[in-house]
Amino acid sequence: MRRSFLICPMFDVNRIATDFERRSSLNSTEAAQTIVKALRGAGIDLVATLPDINLAELLRAVEESHEIIHVPVCREEEGMGICAGAYLVGKKCAAIMQNGGFFNSNNAIVSTLLQYQIPLLLLIYYAGDIGDRTFSTTGSLTEPVLQALGIRYYIMRETDDAPELIRRAQIMTEDSKRPVALLLTKELLGRRPALKAL
Amino acid sequence: MQRFECLKKLAQVAGDALVVSSAGAVTLEWNALRPSDGNFRVRTLGLCSSIALGMAMGLPKRRVVALDGDGSLLMNLSSLPTIARMKPKNLLHIVFDNEVYEASGSKQTATGAGADLVGLARAAGIKNALWAESVEAFAQIAEKAMCGDTLTFIGVKVGTEREPVAPYPIDEVENKYRFIRYVEKTAHVEILKTNLPASYN
Repeated sequence: MRRSFLICPMFDVNRIATDFERRSSLNSTEAAQTIVKALRGAGIDLVATLPDINLAELLRAVEESHEIIHVPVCREEEGMGICAGAYLVGKKCAAIMQNGGFFNSNNAIVSTLLQYQIPLLLLIYYAGDIGDRTFSTTGSLTEPVLQALGIRYYIMRETDDAPELIRRAQIMTEDSKRPVALLLTKELLGRRPALKAL
Repeated sequence: MQRFECLKKLAQVAGDALVVSSAGAVTLEWNALRPSDGNFRVRTLGLCSSIALGMAMGLPKRRVVALDGDGSLLMNLSSLPTIARMKPKNLLHIVFDNEVYEASGSKQTATGAGADLVGLARAAGIKNALWAESVEAFAQIAEKAMCGDTLTFIGVKVGTEREPVAPYPIDEVENKYRFIRYVEKTAHVEILKTNLPASYN
């Protein structure tokens, strides 16, 4: 059954998506460089990260930036502590992770970042977004959990908007002394064509 | 061995080190021995070593000490390979291992069942990780770490005695502000800037 399905490409939604993406001008390397430049523009100088395949180019760009201290962590909650500690001695920090990692970090977000009123820019890759075939439960619960924690968040889909959004988000986290989240989508990261409807 | 006796030795060599302490009695005991705005109390179990790592990386010329516990470190074991990877020379990570969750009803931790925290630290890549077998040995290792430039991890097996000391005098937010002001003053960095609201521009 499976084989006969595959030899009939007109019914294969994966194939249709690939053709769509081929027609679009996607460039994840450029998107990554734009985001890292924006982080630098906002004054960020220490970034804790844990990979997701969709963050690969972004993390490479972070690693290559000489102006950013890159701390690859083994579990995202560590990153909340590392960024809190670095903030207390004068660093401007960001944490880059998948939304599953954001869930991993919740105890530290509550009893360290929120309890002590420590700002932090959370760059959360939005797995389980519309069009994804994995992590649908993670995707569906990401925004409700952010809302429950009282963390203001913005969904980023346009690479061109990234510098200004990151700059404004950094102002917001510093001013409110609370974490602020930016949800990084495949569209932002140059891994899926942008749609006007999103 | 008593934790309080080790802390007394540490207080003699701590100087102006920034000291991050895990939730529990160790914070109160340390604050009684070295009252300072350079002390930071951690509320998230496990996060002590991560917060200390962030401080050590953010201020590489300043000595940073983490006063951790076995229950705390066991909750955040992944901190060990991260610390080993970043290798901050100015970090001294001390774990007082009393083999119980002391602040939570004294149930046994995994170290009480045989887990070896120094062994874990070494296996994670922290070369200079060792057990201090006596208060004097602890004092020696701590002093060497405070003067040297090597990432150091010290495990100390201690009893469950608590020193009767005063409660922590400040809340979390005041702890944060005092700590930041202390760092600003002593490390000559500006952390809390006062910006005009953008609407005033």
